[in-house]
This record gives sequence, C-alpha cells and structure tokens, in this order.
Amino acid sequence: MVDEKELREAVEKTVKRDDVKYVVGYEKGTYGFQVTPCFAYKSEDADKFIFSPLCVHNLAVFPMLEEKPPLRRGEEPDKRKVGVVVKGCDSRAIVQIIQEKGLDREKVVILGIPCTGVVDPKKLEAKFPGKTKNAEIKDDNDKFAITIDGKTSKIAKDELMPDKCKTCEYPTPVLYDILIGKEIKGSKKENYKEIESFEKKSLKDKWQYWEKQFEKCIRCYACRNSCPLCYCKECMVDQLDPQWVRRSVDVSENTAWNLLRAFHLAGRCIGCGQCERVCPMDIPLMKLNKKIEKEIKEMFKYTAGVNAEEKPLLAMFKPDDPEDFIL
Amino acid sequence: MDKMILSKNDLSKLIEELLKKNKVYGPVKSDDTVLFEEIKKPTELYLDYLNSEVPPKALMLHQTETLFKFIPGPKGKIEPVDMDEKKVIFGIRPCDAKSFAILDHVFEGDFDDPYFITKRKNTILIGLSCSTPGTNCFCTSFDDSPAASKYVDILLTDIGNNYYVEVISDLGKQVTKAAGKLFKSATESDTKKKKDAEKKAIDMISRTQKTDKIVEKLDKIFENRFWKDVAFKCLGCGTCTYLCPTCHCFDIQDESTLTKGARIRVWDNCMNPEYTIHASGYNPRPARANRVRNRIYHKYNYYPKNFDVIACVGCGRCIDLCPVNIDIIDVVTKAGEVKP
Repeated sequence: MVDEKELREAVEKTVKRDDVKYVVGYEKGTYGFQVTPCFAYKSEDADKFIFSPLCVHNLAVFPMLEEKPPLRRGEEPDKRKVGVVVKGCDSRAIVQIIQEKGLDREKVVILGIPCTGVVDPKKLEAKFPGKTKNAEIKDDNDKFAITIDGKTSKIAKDELMPDKCKTCEYPTPVLYDILIGKEIKGSKKENYKEIESFEKKSLKDKWQYWEKQFEKCIRCYACRNSCPLCYCKECMVDQLDPQWVRRSVDVSENTAWNLLRAFHLAGRCIGCGQCERVCPMDIPLMKLNKKIEKEIKEMFKYTAGVNAEEKPLLAMFKPDDPEDFIL
Repeated sequence: MDKMILSKNDLSKLIEELLKKNKVYGPVKSDDTVLFEEIKKPTELYLDYLNSEVPPKALMLHQTETLFKFIPGPKGKIEPVDMDEKKVIFGIRPCDAKSFAILDHVFEGDFDDPYFITKRKNTILIGLSCSTPGTNCFCTSFDDSPAASKYVDILLTDIGNNYYVEVISDLGKQVTKAAGKLFKSATESDTKKKKDAEKKAIDMISRTQKTDKIVEKLDKIFENRFWKDVAFKCLGCGTCTYLCPTCHCFDIQDESTLTKGARIRVWDNCMNPEYTIHASGYNPRPARANRVRNRIYHKYNYYPKNFDVIACVGCGRCIDLCPVNIDIIDVVTKAGEVKP
C-alpha cells in the first residue's frame, strides 16, 4: 500500500519546480466510493492527493487532453511540464505515446506508484449498492478492506478486481521520474483465458454476441475520450468530408465505429481498460482489444508500451515477419 | 382527479388491455441494463428498477429519427413518415415524465415540431412512483417528489398488495374506463398508505442541490475561473448529455445511397468541440471550460429565463455515469457560493 504522505511530498516537490505547470493525481470524490482526478498548481494543493484501490482512472489521458488555445500577439506558449501520477498500466500508456512521438519525454514528470490492484467500480456497486455516506477502501494484502460508515469488511481481491488486474504483468510503472514506495515484481501472467474460450464459439454465435452489444452503443464516445491512446487531432468519426461513419445510431454504424476504433488501437492498446470502465452501456470493449493484443503478441512478439526506445509495431518491419495472413 | 386502487395481481390484465389498442413501452432488463423498450406481453416488464440507463426521452426524441425519406436525383421524390402510432409508456418515473413537460417548451412554441408533438399527443404516460430513490436522486431539490403525479396521465404507487392509482388527465380516464372492472375506489386508508410511501421515499433522498437564486448568481460569474477548474478534468465525452432526460440538442443530416435516402435527426451534444464550430473554422466555445459552463447555464440560467423552469429533473444519471465524477449537485451548489 502506498504511503500517502510520501505521495503528497513527491507531488509538492514536483509542483514547486519552476518548469512544472501542474500535477494531476487523485482526490476523494463527491459521494460514496467516488475518487476523481485532481490538479495541484501550488504546493498546498498536494494535501488533497490520495491513492487507494479506488484510483481507477488512467491519468495519462490528461497531458493528451491539454488544450492549446490560439496565442495572443506576443504571447509565449507555456512550455512547462505536466506531472502525472501513474500506476503500472497507466505508465505504459505514456511509454506508448512517447514511442509514437505523440508526447515528448521531456514534457512530463512521471510520479510512479507500484500498484497492487484496483477495484472494478461496477463490481463494487453490485456488491454494495447505493452508498452515499463515507466509504473507503484500503489494500490489505490479498484482500480489500472496505469501510462503510465506520464498519469494515474484508473481501478477497479476486472478487472485486477488474480482469486487467488479475493478469497484470507490470504492477510497477515501466517508466518514472519518482517512484513512490517500493518496486513490486510482477508475478502474474496474461493467459488470455477468456479470449481463448470466446474464440472457440462459432462465427454465428460470435456475431450474434457482438451485434447485441453494439446495438446498445449510444455513441457518446466516452471510450474514445477516456483513452490516452485516442489522441488524434480529429477523430475519423467526427470528420464530415468524407464522412467515414454515418451519424445514424444503428447496429451497422455502431459496429463500424467500435471495430474501427479497436483496429486503430491495434499494437497500441496497453490494456488499461478505461474504455470498458466508462462505457455507460456496459459494452465489453476489452474483449476486442485483448483479442488483437493476443494476435499481435503471437505473431510479432510485440507488447505495447513497455519500452520507450522501441519502435511502435506498425512503424517497424522485420524480414521474418509472418505473412500467412496476407491473402 | 380520481383515486382508485389496482390489485397487483390484476396488473398484467391491465397491460393486456392496453396492448389491444396501443404499442406499449416499458422498462425491460437485459443483462444488467434497463431500457425502455416495446413489450408484447406483461411478463417482459421489469418494474423493480431505479432508473433506465437511457432516459425515456429516447421515445419522444429518437436518437436517430427519420424526418422523411427521399429518392435522390432529377426524378426524385419525397416520402413522408408515418407518425400516427398510438403508444403507452408504462412504468415511467415521475422525474422522467417531468422531462417531457420541460421539453414541451422547446418543441411547441413559436415553431411547432410535428415529430415531437405528434408523439406526445399520441402517448399515454402511466407513471410508477419511485419507492427507493438512488444515491444521486435529487428531484426534491426542485420541489418535486418521487411520487409526483402532475406530469403523467395515470400514476401508480406501490402500497403493498395494491397499486394506488391516481388518474390525472382525460387520457388517463379513458384507460381506467376501458378497464373499469380492474379498478376499485380508494379508501382513506389507501390514500394514507400512498402518503406514507411517498414520505418514506422522500426521506431516502439524501442529497440536495442548492438552487436558491441560481439564475441571478450565475449571471454574475460567467467569466469566473470557477468554470475552468470544474471543467479541467472533463474528458469531453457525451455521456452526461445523451443520458440526460432534458438535453435535446440535435443535428440534421441527409444520408443516402444513389437510389434512396433519408433526412435524419440525431442527438448531438454540446460537449463535442464540433458542436459550435462555424463554417469559417471559428469556434465560439473552443475549450472544454466553455462547453461545460454552457451545459450548466443552459439548464440553470437560460432555460429558467425563457420558460420559468430549471431544465434538470434530478434523476442523477449524469452523476452516476460521469467517468470523472463531475457532479452536477456539487457544481451548481458550489457555483452558488462563488464570490463574483
């Protein structure tokens, strides 16, 4: 478990630097179990920073969301860095974006947190519905200690963790400037069990399954906006001329959107699971991403977001790349 | 207003009666999602729900609505759409029903919107009071109640073995008349049971939004830094607007192939940067702070100025599902406390 005092000290130290604009981290939210992204602009702001298994958001999205309004005449652009608090998975998003040259390594200060697994808010809500009062969760080895109105109960992590944490290979951030706490060695292995069992279904069953899922999509694009790797200046789905995807919200256009997005993340998705977390219609988007990740791992031995020096998958060619999928 | 009771055992008979002459829509559960969908038999209904994921505004203002169909080209022609479907929305919550009354101001006025108005006229609303409001419900902040009857044609309230039935409008009377045998007059003890159920539900609502003089207060803080701070964590997705029962912005597009096409109207949302972008490339709301502020002002300032009603019903959907916990109860309450 991360020492919050150490975290706050690191935030304070970072935000005090002349070359840092602000630090983004987590604070307690407005009700129940909620935790929300927060920003420190000056050293006092560091006091509100927390870290708990409720810190599910991938904050690597915030440097990518930075707005650059047109400058007034004579105005200099703000070239200062952004500090970001990251877990293992979140750090991989930063690494991947750096690989793609979407972000300059010099533009971020990474405050890494070795993570022992977060909770899945949807599983938590199902287990403890409608908690408005003070509710907190602490890490307790292989259990989560959940305190609601002063009463604490302990629940096995496996019951509440999202799937991504159950097979997490990188609990410690792969890239950081400051590490808060001690490094944790990854002991789990991604086995793609769920994907393998899904692969065994017939084509018809698979299609039916996805049709039912995509029918629900309301095209709010929360999946895209919460994704650190979805940082195109203009998303293909917003483009009007040519209009790649129609505005009609029906199963055909929704399928186009969701599949296009999955393919645009091929070799880039680092599996933080934000898209699935934020989807208001509960579409299991990680199933698409994991399937592509698995294929890529098998064919090209490539894992996205582990080494900032490496070239992105789609930007490198090796003479012995497999070709059997080319017709 | 007629006050009656309906035995819970007779509910399916009532639905079957309604199905004879109308299309019936109601809350239907599939996996973990509850949505308002057409039902063919009473057993499809799922009445033990809090709020549907997508509000029933989707039945009045379809997310994708065909305005008319056409055949393009010099020999082209226009084909109007049939709008005369008679329908019943069964089990709608008072807050969602209120949203229809709020939307009326936009769709009937200087320019009537035939699509919305026709649907509204042809729809009977049979409401179901909320007995266990959720964490983020705050309808009471607008002097409404989880068992408010004024926005529906008939309101049912669970009072144990029976539903307490309040018949509000003439449309509602037609329904109770047609299925007259199913209803009995309510006794005073039934009325008391309804009041108790209503009070119990009101007491369960734990959150309050402070909206006192909010119109004037917002007038003074348009340029305040507060909005930048609120919006800084906004991801810019459309969850809050699409799931809001009163958000009603739309975009109109022609979608066609070489031989056929349709003019469609689709939901749009003001969190989207291209929402206000001009043909010149200029965008009057270039930053997320401008867009988040606009959503709040539209509901709590412009709407009350134009129509004398706050365009929020307190259903809590945007709070429940915001990926970054932008909480409209908190934002508006705090906005009221900002020093201009």
